[in-house]
Amino acid sequence: MNDFNIYLYDGSFYNLLNTIEILIKEKIKPNNIINEKYYINDLLSNVYKKTLKTDTLFAQKLKSISLRFYQIIYDVYLSNDQNKELIIYYFILNGLKYGAKIVYLRKLKCVNKALNISHYVHNEVHKLKGFVRFQKLETNFYLAYINPTNNVLEYLAKYFKKRLATESWMIYDIKRNLLSIYTNNKYIIIEVADLEKNKFKFSDDEKIFANLWQTFYKTIAIKQRTNKRCQMNFMPKKYWSYMIEMSDKIAKDNF
Amino acid sequence: MSIEEKLKILADSAKYDASCSSSGSKRKAKDGLGIPSFSGICHSFSSDGRCISLLKILMTNCCIFDCKYCINRRSNEVKRAIFTPEEICEITINFYKRNYIEGLFLSSGIIKNPDYTMNKLIETISLLRNKYHFNGYIHVKAIPGASNYLLKKLGSLVDRISANIELPTHNGLKLLAPDKSQDKVTTIMQTIKENQNKNFVNAGQSTQMIIGATKESDLDIMKMSSFLYQNYKLKRVFYSAYIAVNKDNLLPALKMPPLKREHRLYQADWLIKYYNFKVTDLLDKNNPNFNILLDPKSNWALRNLHLFPCEINKASYNDLLKIPGIGPKSAQKIISNRRYYTLEYNDLKKLGVVLKRAKYFILCNGHYFMNKTYFSPNFIETNLLLEDQSIKIQSKEQLSLFNE
Repeated sequence: MNDFNIYLYDGSFYNLLNTIEILIKEKIKPNNIINEKYYINDLLSNVYKKTLKTDTLFAQKLKSISLRFYQIIYDVYLSNDQNKELIIYYFILNGLKYGAKIVYLRKLKCVNKALNISHYVHNEVHKLKGFVRFQKLETNFYLAYINPTNNVLEYLAKYFKKRLATESWMIYDIKRNLLSIYTNNKYIIIEVADLEKNKFKFSDDEKIFANLWQTFYKTIAIKQRTNKRCQMNFMPKKYWSYMIEMSDKIAKDNF
Repeated sequence: MSIEEKLKILADSAKYDASCSSSGSKRKAKDGLGIPSFSGICHSFSSDGRCISLLKILMTNCCIFDCKYCINRRSNEVKRAIFTPEEICEITINFYKRNYIEGLFLSSGIIKNPDYTMNKLIETISLLRNKYHFNGYIHVKAIPGASNYLLKKLGSLVDRISANIELPTHNGLKLLAPDKSQDKVTTIMQTIKENQNKNFVNAGQSTQMIIGATKESDLDIMKMSSFLYQNYKLKRVFYSAYIAVNKDNLLPALKMPPLKREHRLYQADWLIKYYNFKVTDLLDKNNPNFNILLDPKSNWALRNLHLFPCEINKASYNDLLKIPGIGPKSAQKIISNRRYYTLEYNDLKKLGVVLKRAKYFILCNGHYFMNKTYFSPNFIETNLLLEDQSIKIQSKEQLSLFNE
């Protein structure tokens, strides 16, 4: 018998918390916790699934420790980190031990990692608040495509609900096939496989304003101050392909 | 003239204004399109590395003034254009809905007289606010010499107003901008300061100075900006490296804008605003200009080496702020963490404190980062310069600046 123990959860936040609660109660140290969608069967490890529960009882308990603590757990869950589940497990384990001051104990590896990841996630949210580009459809819906490293769609939807309250819009995360649709003061997030751009007809004035924006973008730069490195530092290339003022530069670079 | 052509002309004439911040507004959004964002949001970065947050345009580049440094001066033969209020509103709204911009930064050349121009600006902004129900960020440049009641009317509609002081001394302004006067600009600042509240210029006011067009020293410039911060509660003073757009006997013939000097001024500006430094700490009559090779804080620390090395685990917040390389964020992190454990060099790294400069000036739990006998002005200065040298080699354009 080897003792490499893997625990599966269904991919949802609450199921992950419930799984971790049980592991902590039973004093099990998992070798890994994996989203069952991404689990590839191997014969060398023992695989368990502890619970199907998705209730929020344990989440409430974590919230009562400190809201910031809970927020960080959620941020790590949204991140793209390979070991995020294990980081959350140890973060919670220590959180239960130390209480609210846990968010200052950077000496602990899991705390340091969790805080860094949370910072990284919020950084990306902030960047995308600016870099998301909507295109107007014939139906007066505004549509944007994003390809973020972390799963930040929910944060973005919350923000654009306030910013574009009077409009109807959709944001599509092409990596995760998640679509958030907002109309009449409500937004939902659903899974949609392959939302192709070609299917949509854009409104008549879309091209006019996109052109105006590109003209403005080119004009506003001061030649004598050109500093491409500075530009790239603030606006990493991975975001360029969905920004209309930059997308033509990507095409040129590839040739 | 097509809208695209107009936009090209009027954005081109507006681009020399440094300000593009969309932060600091706590105005409550009414029903309508958009919200102001307190932290400000950058929507793009142009190829000069500057943030694009606002639609920065002039209403018109026609102007009755003849300021020597300005591209729109009366005596220049450039293409002139005028936007109608509706055109400005349409572009703003459509850009905003597509998330290109955070709001509008409207400025204007002076047509007919200051009051007429101001009225036109107010007409545009009230159309945008009241007919198009736009709640995003609006920054308008006040027209010097316009009546006070117009300024008050404008202030109730926008998040930020700015009036450019342009040059740090009366004489400089008289020389290069004979139609402007410092009194007119400070009158605007005074009115805004007196009236500021949550519905009036919520994000505060800012100004701009041109660097390197006249012979004023850095000390003159810093004295002027700290005077403005203290007396008119300005949010920002922007420094804009002089770019030669016009040829004139009164203007210097610079090939490259003095970007490094501008950078040093911003650094010093920050030190005064957020680090509790005074102008007299950084510059004096014998050293009226900043050291181009070394940042102002390191420079200060080297001259006050008796205050260092500083024990990270004991120093007060204010003392931490004075360490080169450590800012408010790092200082706060250090303080909130050292309550629970003693900080070592590795812990500082984990906190994200940048040690490149700081390591020469600190003790961690009694230890210097190397043998303490090395702690001497010569050793530290040489090393700090070497750190910068490596950056200089990477960007050759900057290097050519020093050779000139």
